[in-house]
Amino acid sequence: MNAVIPTRARRTTSLLPVSILLVVLLPLLLMPLASIFIFAGRGGLASFLDALIQPDAQFALRFSLLIAFATALVNAGLGTYTAYVLSKYRFRGREALNVIVNLPVAIPTVVVGTSLLLLWGPIGLLGQLLEPLGLQPMFTPVGVLLAHLFVTFPYMLGAVKPVLDELESTYEEAAYTIGASRWQTFRFVILPALRGGLFSGTLLTFAHSLGEFGATVLVSGNLRLRTQTAPLYIFAQFEAGNIETANAVAAVLATLSFVLFFVLLQVTQRQTERTG
Amino acid sequence: MVKSGKFFRKRSMRFHAQRLPYGLINWHLLLRRTVFWLALISLGLYALWPWLPGTQAARTRTIVVYGFSILGEVMNEGIFPAFQADWEVQTGEKVEFISSFAGSGTITNQIILGVPAEVAILSLELDALRLVDKRVLPGSIWRDLPHAGVLNRTPFIILVRLGNPKNITDFADLAQPGVGVVHPDPLTSGGAQWAILAEYGSSLRRTGDEAVAFEQLLGIWKNVVAQAASARAARTQFENGFGDVLITYEQEALYDLARARLKAQIVYPHSTILSEHTVVVIPKNIRPEQRELVDAFVAFLWSEPAQRIFVEYGFRSTEEELNASNPNFGVIPEPFTVSNLGGWPQAKRQIIETIWKERVLPEIGR
Repeated sequence: MNAVIPTRARRTTSLLPVSILLVVLLPLLLMPLASIFIFAGRGGLASFLDALIQPDAQFALRFSLLIAFATALVNAGLGTYTAYVLSKYRFRGREALNVIVNLPVAIPTVVVGTSLLLLWGPIGLLGQLLEPLGLQPMFTPVGVLLAHLFVTFPYMLGAVKPVLDELESTYEEAAYTIGASRWQTFRFVILPALRGGLFSGTLLTFAHSLGEFGATVLVSGNLRLRTQTAPLYIFAQFEAGNIETANAVAAVLATLSFVLFFVLLQVTQRQTERTG
Repeated sequence: MVKSGKFFRKRSMRFHAQRLPYGLINWHLLLRRTVFWLALISLGLYALWPWLPGTQAARTRTIVVYGFSILGEVMNEGIFPAFQADWEVQTGEKVEFISSFAGSGTITNQIILGVPAEVAILSLELDALRLVDKRVLPGSIWRDLPHAGVLNRTPFIILVRLGNPKNITDFADLAQPGVGVVHPDPLTSGGAQWAILAEYGSSLRRTGDEAVAFEQLLGIWKNVVAQAASARAARTQFENGFGDVLITYEQEALYDLARARLKAQIVYPHSTILSEHTVVVIPKNIRPEQRELVDAFVAFLWSEPAQRIFVEYGFRSTEEELNASNPNFGVIPEPFTVSNLGGWPQAKRQIIETIWKERVLPEIGR
């Protein structure tokens, strides 16, 4: 394993390119992020906490977390199942399906919001049928969840399917030969191999759901204390000129994302170390 | 942090390589897993807290209110708490307000799409008429409310930078070259439509000449440097340093003035429009058991205590005598309302559609 570690001979020459990179990255990425925290600290801890304990802010954070948990949970199951079917079964239209399930990555989230409204909204295709029954998924937490499931669908798939594709089929075949059922093979042979992918996929889904804005703003109705997620709250407060309030929640959201990202980094590193 | 992680990992891998004797525990891995799961569980608990059994306060009743942008503070800080106190004294019930504030056009579109608004306060009657068009309302039912549904008023004024460096005294000056105007977007903002009527109507009233009025409107729109989705968003843009002037509700400026944080100066035009804000009750979103509560809230809006709160927050009350209590209201020699322009349907058709959309916009190339 030691042989994999790159030699340090070229280290001395790297000073210039690294400084150029830093100069570029500083105003592009680092300073905007830092300004959130600098601004949050400027009013003092008391006013920062004061902004955070507002009932609307608390609700928005909690609601966002709940939606993110639910999204991660549903898509972890659904995404893994999709990856399994697409990877292990051969059928006509598999390629097309593969493209379709990855489509949400390419579609602007605002378009996702619009399309959901045009399907489930009161003027939508299915919404019109639901309306007489008194069912109305849009502008409720269900609508927000639907939007987040749509937008984050490919992340689970992207984390799990490559692992499944790479997985040696000999293990499965061995399992079948000793009489294991499909489910048993999945549970005891495939699932353990998927653990890392499942974990990072779920985390990615969670993180993306936490920050989702474009689709949510359309389908949620932006009701405070009911369907307002944390990003929507930040936007609404910022637009209303309450920059401190907006920024306090933004700082919390940014910190959460940092932590998530750090955990994700650790997991993926461990995975590559294990497999490599 | 990454470094220390690597260090630990290397060590734990070494343990692996040595094949841990049975019974020996990999403390580091255990610690890391415990921390992770504890963090996850506490995050989940935090998120679920208000919905956990036992933590929930006695069930409260709710009213869903959508309002146009500048109403945010007065409703959240003034009207809602006042009504909550009032209702609790009367009935012993707690009421919670579920609210959303955005551009008048935005909330109107949301209501058409089906958000569960029980009461909406729109910047202009035109948006209420759109709700009738889209069959959300069975007819012009807001006209049965006090003052034909008009909750309060506020004139359109010009906000300039401190010291008035561009020497703005009236709408006509905004058409001078070199003046940067921040304007809300008429597509989504009710305030923007009022502003157009003010820009055109003030000149029309002074000169009586449609050509002169058109020139003034065109001149101002040639100077528009930023368009925001709502009056409130336009103010935020102006505060962030965009442009030289902002055309907005007097209330916006007075609210800041009363809190000694107005970093701009108000210029009162000789003649300007008084915007009239319309309350709309949406029957199809009101369940029968909600009716009484919603009606009580709507009646409360025109009560003296409520109207006093509006005045305190810089809105001009429909009860003229209450307005004396706010010394900050400026003098406008020649105010007018939309009825002077023939009412909203006509003003929309003749001024906003025919003049602004079909003549001004093409001329400025938008």
